[in-house]
Amino acid sequence: MHDNLAISATGLVKKFSGRRVVDGVDIAVPTGMIYGVLGPNGAGKTTTLRMLLGIIEPDEGHRTLLGTDRPRSVSDRVGYLPEERGLYPAMKAREAIAFMGALRGLPLRTGRKRATELLETAGLGHAADDKIRKLSKGMAQLIQLLGSIVHQPELLVLDEPFSGLDPVNQERLEALILAERDRGATIVLSTHVMAHAERLCDRLAIIAKGRRRFEGTVAEARSLLPMQATYTPRNDDEHIADYLPAGAQHRGDGWRFTVPVEGSEQVLSKLIGAGYGISGLSIERPSLHDAFVKIVGRAALEDQA
Amino acid sequence: MSRLGTLLRQTMTIARRDFVATVFTPTFLIFLFAPVVMGSFGAIGGLGANAATQGGGDKTRIVAIVEGDQARLMMAVDAQLRKLYRDESDAPATLRTDAPGTDPAAQAHALIEDKSIDVPVVMFGPLDHPHILYTPRSTRSADYIAQLAEQTLRTARSGTAALSDATRTEIKRTAPRLRGGKESGFFAVFAIFFLTLLLAGQVVSGVAEEKGNKVIEILAAAVPLESVFFGKLLGTFGVAILFLAFWGTLATQIGTLMPANFAAGIAALTPAMGMPMFTLLFFGYFTMAYMLLGAVFLGVGAQASSVREIQLLSLPITLIQVSMFGLGALAISHPNGWLATFAKFFPLSSPYYMAGRAAQSPDVWPHVAALAWQAVWVAIFVSIGVRAFRRGVLQSGSGKFRWKALLGRS
Repeated sequence: MHDNLAISATGLVKKFSGRRVVDGVDIAVPTGMIYGVLGPNGAGKTTTLRMLLGIIEPDEGHRTLLGTDRPRSVSDRVGYLPEERGLYPAMKAREAIAFMGALRGLPLRTGRKRATELLETAGLGHAADDKIRKLSKGMAQLIQLLGSIVHQPELLVLDEPFSGLDPVNQERLEALILAERDRGATIVLSTHVMAHAERLCDRLAIIAKGRRRFEGTVAEARSLLPMQATYTPRNDDEHIADYLPAGAQHRGDGWRFTVPVEGSEQVLSKLIGAGYGISGLSIERPSLHDAFVKIVGRAALEDQA
Repeated sequence: MSRLGTLLRQTMTIARRDFVATVFTPTFLIFLFAPVVMGSFGAIGGLGANAATQGGGDKTRIVAIVEGDQARLMMAVDAQLRKLYRDESDAPATLRTDAPGTDPAAQAHALIEDKSIDVPVVMFGPLDHPHILYTPRSTRSADYIAQLAEQTLRTARSGTAALSDATRTEIKRTAPRLRGGKESGFFAVFAIFFLTLLLAGQVVSGVAEEKGNKVIEILAAAVPLESVFFGKLLGTFGVAILFLAFWGTLATQIGTLMPANFAAGIAALTPAMGMPMFTLLFFGYFTMAYMLLGAVFLGVGAQASSVREIQLLSLPITLIQVSMFGLGALAISHPNGWLATFAKFFPLSSPYYMAGRAAQSPDVWPHVAALAWQAVWVAIFVSIGVRAFRRGVLQSGSGKFRWKALLGRS
């Protein structure tokens, strides 16, 4: 684990109307990384992020943000894109970005200058003087993201940044996030879309039912599940299943089965020895999506138990 | 930058946004020129009422049934007496003299009953023992015509030539009048009430915009809610000051816009501590009244979840303002009673009462203390509003009273 943490939280608890929506979450975000907070709807991701930022206070637990346990005191070094997007509809795009920078201590004049540059970089230069109400939802969302990075924060917290964006704007957003990481910012993003997390995140935490169920890299998450093999025999008959691992499923021309812990060599040797041969073979790591479904599903089962 | 400096910078960022967002809109022009619309309707109503009154007044007469010589003399005396009435609406109805018939009493009764003319008062009989008939609510006209008879007889004895030739010299008082302080005090209380009634109510919907368009989450993450609330108060106060500056400049530069009686009334104000200091304190107390009421309205309005709820709040808001005005005005007229003590210390009535006191007492230090006291309460009201907002709207468990935040420490 890194010594230099942008965010550190232990045992965070938040209760709404007596219900523990966040129930003892621990998070450690190393500086300079893109850190994903993953979870299904209602898992407690947003509440956790709001507690980390000091928008709401935890009922229990302890957190530090950029080295201080008073997150509000470092708000000028933090950027935040909330889940519920909000901009003043009558403001012009450039002014909206500069205003959000001014809230975080950036002089308005500098904010306007940087806003112009950011808009150009994001391909939105033409909309600089358009009022927010005239922009599409996706453009407004990008404007808000630009507003959250205009003051060049050390820590950028993005709550469901991709929701409601078309694929083109999702690409733009991913590029912006990676550029911020390359600038040196630490980025925390919450999402329930695994493809984005898989492409962007260096580390991630999976939260379900208010608790952290996993913490590690994407590869570590994927390694929680055994690898899957897709095997196509050269010769097939009704007895081939006797040579395949239990649970093997017939798919099209071949079979799909979970690679045993000891590896696939023994299985393949038996198949070759029995004369089935190998027409095709692929061994795949499970996706983050599969790992997520398994972790979240297991959490649901644990809670039911 | 210090914590207080940061808080101030964040507050001014919010205030600037609110001020610009309000002022640079077409709606602001409607707000700015609302007094014109109000004045126009008032003028139209006044003209209508005046026309109706004059229409009736043209046909109203007070009648004296007297012989020819006495009638002429009485008309001359009437002309002299009427010079005492600067405002025609205060003067009795036009005098008409009729020659007496065979039965003056019956003639007088007939005039009262005449449907073609409105005669509220008729005098008949000898002038040294006149008989006056008058309808209810015409007592003053009856007194006038009785005095007319008296003066006509006196003039008949002394002649119409002037017996006295007065020399008139206008001077200004150097010492305040006994009543001047009370009049100035009431003026101050009323003026603050009127201005806050016009301008402070808009604060109630201050946070509604941010709640509606979800910007509140951005603001809450970036700056302390205290800054958001103070910023909104200052922003709307800036709009109020712009409004006052616009109309104040117009009214003072274009004298014709100011009603003659109002201008004369202001000129006649003689506050105990002198006009410059009184003006300064008046502005200070208006600011505090606005901030105190605004802080309460902002805190209450922030809890509203819809426009309808905000509209529902307009009645209690007006009632609070009227009651504080009533309390302040009553306390000013009884400055030594318990009510005055209560009005002095109760935060919402304190600016009204102390503005009134500024007109009556030359001491300055109580006002410094009062302004500081009121400023503390502005901070307390804002903090309570923030606490309620944090707990009720942001659903944060942190409802602790934030003295530290008020003092600029986190």
